[in-house]
Amino acid sequence: MKISVGCICGVILLGAACLQAAQEQSPSSGADAASSQYRSVINRYCATCHNGKLKTADLDLNAADIANPGKAPHIWEKVVTKLRFRAMPPDPLPRPDEATYNSLVNYLTTELDQASVVNRNPGRPATAHRLNRTQYTNAMRDLLGLEIDGASLLPADDSGGFDNLGEVLSVSPVLMERYLSAARKISRLAVGNPSIPLDSANYPVSPYLVQGDRMSEDLPFGTRGGVAIRHHFPLDGEYAIKVRLLRTADGYVLGIAEPHFLDVRLDGSRIKLIQFGGEHLGRTAGADGLESDFQQKEYERNADAGLVVRIPVKAGARLVQVSFLNERSASEGLFAKRKRLTLQDALPGANDLQGSDPDVSRVTISGPYGARGSGETASRQKIFVCHPSGEDEQSCARDILAGLARRAYRRPVGERDLSPLLKLYEAGSSEGGFEAGIEMALQGLLVSPHFLFRIESEPSRMPPETAYAVSDLVLASRLSFFLWASVPDEPLLRAAEQGKLSDPAVLEQQVRRMLADPRARNLVDDFAGQWLLLRNVKTKTPNRDVYPEFDENLRQAFEKETELFLTSMIREDQPVPELLNADYTFMNERLAKFYDVSGIYGSHLRRVDVQDENRRGILGQGSVLLLTAYANRTSVVQRGKWVLENLLGVQVPPPPANVPGLKEKGEGGLGTLRQQMEAHRANPACMGCHSLMDPIGFALENFDGIGKWRTAENGAPIDPSGTLLDGTEFQGVTELRQLLHGRPELLVHAVTEKLLMYALGRTLEHYDAPAIRGIVRDSAASDYRWSSIILGIAQSTPFQMRRTRPL
Amino acid sequence: MMIFRKSIPRRTFIRGLGATIALPFLDGMTPAFAGPLDTAAKPALRLGYVYVPNGIIRERWLPTKVGTDFEMTDCLQQWAPFRNQLTVLSGLDGGPQFVGGHPRGSGMYLTGVDPKKSLNDVLDGVSVDQAAARELGKQTQVDSLQLCIEDAAEIAGQALGGYNAAYTNTISWRTPTQPLAMEYRPRAVFERLFGDGDSMDPEARLARMRRDRSVLDFVSEETTRLLADLGASDQTKVNEFLDAVRDVESRIQRAEASPPSADLPQVERPIGVPSAYEDHARLMFDLLLLAYQGDMTRVSTFMLAREYSELVYTNLNHTEPHHPLTHHRGVEWRIQQAGEVNVYHCKLFAEFLAKMRATPDGDGSLLDHSILFYGAGMGDADIHNQWNLPVAMLGGGAGRLKRGGIHIQYPKGTPFANFHLSLLNLIGAPTEQFGNSTGPADLSAIV
Repeated sequence: MKISVGCICGVILLGAACLQAAQEQSPSSGADAASSQYRSVINRYCATCHNGKLKTADLDLNAADIANPGKAPHIWEKVVTKLRFRAMPPDPLPRPDEATYNSLVNYLTTELDQASVVNRNPGRPATAHRLNRTQYTNAMRDLLGLEIDGASLLPADDSGGFDNLGEVLSVSPVLMERYLSAARKISRLAVGNPSIPLDSANYPVSPYLVQGDRMSEDLPFGTRGGVAIRHHFPLDGEYAIKVRLLRTADGYVLGIAEPHFLDVRLDGSRIKLIQFGGEHLGRTAGADGLESDFQQKEYERNADAGLVVRIPVKAGARLVQVSFLNERSASEGLFAKRKRLTLQDALPGANDLQGSDPDVSRVTISGPYGARGSGETASRQKIFVCHPSGEDEQSCARDILAGLARRAYRRPVGERDLSPLLKLYEAGSSEGGFEAGIEMALQGLLVSPHFLFRIESEPSRMPPETAYAVSDLVLASRLSFFLWASVPDEPLLRAAEQGKLSDPAVLEQQVRRMLADPRARNLVDDFAGQWLLLRNVKTKTPNRDVYPEFDENLRQAFEKETELFLTSMIREDQPVPELLNADYTFMNERLAKFYDVSGIYGSHLRRVDVQDENRRGILGQGSVLLLTAYANRTSVVQRGKWVLENLLGVQVPPPPANVPGLKEKGEGGLGTLRQQMEAHRANPACMGCHSLMDPIGFALENFDGIGKWRTAENGAPIDPSGTLLDGTEFQGVTELRQLLHGRPELLVHAVTEKLLMYALGRTLEHYDAPAIRGIVRDSAASDYRWSSIILGIAQSTPFQMRRTRPL
Repeated sequence: MMIFRKSIPRRTFIRGLGATIALPFLDGMTPAFAGPLDTAAKPALRLGYVYVPNGIIRERWLPTKVGTDFEMTDCLQQWAPFRNQLTVLSGLDGGPQFVGGHPRGSGMYLTGVDPKKSLNDVLDGVSVDQAAARELGKQTQVDSLQLCIEDAAEIAGQALGGYNAAYTNTISWRTPTQPLAMEYRPRAVFERLFGDGDSMDPEARLARMRRDRSVLDFVSEETTRLLADLGASDQTKVNEFLDAVRDVESRIQRAEASPPSADLPQVERPIGVPSAYEDHARLMFDLLLLAYQGDMTRVSTFMLAREYSELVYTNLNHTEPHHPLTHHRGVEWRIQQAGEVNVYHCKLFAEFLAKMRATPDGDGSLLDHSILFYGAGMGDADIHNQWNLPVAMLGGGAGRLKRGGIHIQYPKGTPFANFHLSLLNLIGAPTEQFGNSTGPADLSAIV
């Protein structure tokens, strides 16, 4: 069996062989006095397995010169990683004491860091780095003022932890077709081509969303249910907004026994208040058990047919708000009349018809009918910086395209860039006039490799394998794609064009400005969404029988809580370790109820002090606890793995192939989950990893599969105790949190690693380790605040520099 | 250029979003982009690979008897009406030695190449569908279609065990470094086939193509200029880009050369993505049928779920995701439910087969003129291995297959790539070696 590099599973199997081999080792010669003590530590604790003969994990520590770790950083960085977490040597082999661990790690890192200064290796991100879907979507917003749905225009990008890794992002003919068609649609929308045809867009609402309260900040007070939609109306013209209500499984509209009012608004102003429901065209089903007659049934099936509003709308992105007037007072509580819909209930049956309230199931917006021109949209204002009159069309087109190309290509443009665009403009304008020409040139610009690729070309005549400082323009793009996942804005681009960005003071000022910009929410949405796997909260399907309390409202509250929490962490520039320890979070009534917190009313999430020690920080948040559980039970392994990989930066290798799972003779037959897991861990092939993951997972066992607090499972009390690899014992989530918080550099190191990988768009290599250590070290003085880490990255060698082509 | 005519049902129905979308066709639809090689005498061969994740429970799939007398297991039973065009293949391995894990399962399935373990880059092999598409795709508007159900971008942490997520998100590889993204949005598939114009008006369509060609000319010149500025070692990605531009250009030229005429079907664009798995899968199958029917493509791959899929089949009253179910550890209810998923997928595929058979194509049916594979990239998902993959082949092969109704058992350890190799030679894309093939697989029982 081949043991993959970095895999500590299966190591125990070799223990006996290692010990035997140890006796045959001779101490290496030639080490100087300063390093001889470390040589003997290595010989005693490491080289028994990692020697020339066994080469466990492909590592021969006898051959590596400990007097000069900088000569073999690829080896010694690996050692440092293992020692930092005390992951080596594996139990039950003898381990050095803490002081020895620390001094060896210190010695190695000091040596490695010094060597890295002399011999800089900044790495080499892809020379041509394709924009991914998120970046493309954001660029449309920033270049053209257009909010597009990237997911409907472009295929997904493949992910290696993050979906912005340059080496992976390739271009196939299928993708080229998509780029072509996306550019056609976008340029048409942005210019406001008056021939844009009628189209319709569907906005579905989950049937599992309980619409008992005001559903969003974007909906008016005093309303219940419904949805707020940001929709782009392509032209001035008439549009139809059609609302479909939730139906029973056999097709009857819910909640129409009594009259209700549907409130339809556009950008906050009411368009129409539509009364519906409560009609009796015939016999209505009643308590006597008789069914409705034919006419009444027809009505009950189509009672929402009249919920259509047709109105003239000015072109541009607007907020469409659909909700029901709340005819009851708040004192009746959240779900006063409506039978509460949970996942357990699935879709309600026909007998729910009486007495329930109507819910929105879908909103369809179609149009334009009778378009009346392009209107004045944000996009048109951005694009048409001039309006030609007669003969100056050509020069106006030149001005427009020069401005667009400079922003899209993220650099100054010259005649070489402009003349091909003008050719396209002419082709378009000869057929359809000035604006058609601009539209055509814009379509081309959006498929141009200068836009779709971030190019980091090398200075000519530089020898291979040489580190060099990237240009200010490259640096500007690196910054904006890191912090905003988008193109540089005007101030950043100007600073780069003027050559000021390499000035550390200007760089810092730009970074701080960018972090304060609303676009920096990208760090939460895109970076943290992938780093902490928060995107997966959406995809989880908890078992309805086991977790009847779970519904769409709770899921949305989970997502929103963590989103607001992370936003506040970064926006307020909190210390990174506060992720674990913060004494505040965000809740609405639904969430507060779930967390057993009283005194919070309404659907709006607001900042709340956390009184319960167990709920402090991200480890107490429902989102994380849900996404690390199975549908019907918790998973100590997934939770342990999540904490290790994302908060501590320990890569857990996959289970070795062909090792079957535990044979469970009937579930629960072998005692508690803990006993089963302990039996599992007794298998040497499994122990290496599981002894890392499981204790952490067990500490979180007081939270069930959707994050609800519990003290017992199936009648047996929860035992949340555990022991870390270094022997530290702890009890439950609070002590685990305190332990982790007590060693903040572990979390900060992990966060820095993830951020740097995201910032560079490449996986990290051993030569990046000194930079990461430097950033962590330097940020300690600022209490590891977010801005100090982010600034540290912006100033680091791998971010500021690049290596030329290999030999 | 009218090459062959066929009668097509006046209305085809595509189900989606819980509603029925009607697809009214004009009578006597003719393929828009059929090339001159297609004559009624020699019908075009359609090739397809339908993939299911996380293996198939052995007992539900594998017949014990070999030869023509094999018994219909729960899965195969779904295809009973097509038994005479069914060939069950067993004994085929993902790799010659033991390899395992999900990324290898799907990553090797059609390539026969052990994928590179890396997050940062991808390296696999050309997949058999793509090797075939280089031949079969020459005449069609779209060289191959890649379909799926799940939106990969919505799943974070999809990279598995140090492998890039590409290996589990697709089974189609155009080149060893170019995984082809699978499309889950019915509308995007529709637009690839019929264009994103708002009318099917041939004039408007032609105008759009001319326009696209001007844009592509521009892009192509810009790319050449960029390549000149880059050092030789930095050109890979940009070269790939240029290849893609040229490929799309040549397809547009082909489409322009065979004018669509008024026979292009008038079809409504699907809006949105159906929320129910079943509606979604059926809609994708229906679009695939349309593509084959209109001869707009002859090659497809369709992942009924991505490898390692964590979909919960709530319509089967399941509450555990598919993947943990398949790690059943011998627990009866898990084996039962994992098997239910397997049979269910086969049933959906059977519906597609029935439609293929009901669709006339030249002198036979579409199914007569197809070779469709169905299978999984894992032999035993419980222990992550790739031995004895579950694979079946359906369809009449457009005259290239002389019989079906047989279970062929290959010698233990035969790479699936051997079969790919034989298939490529059978369908006119001759090659001597494919992935980890050790020689051609014996097809004498069926050709």
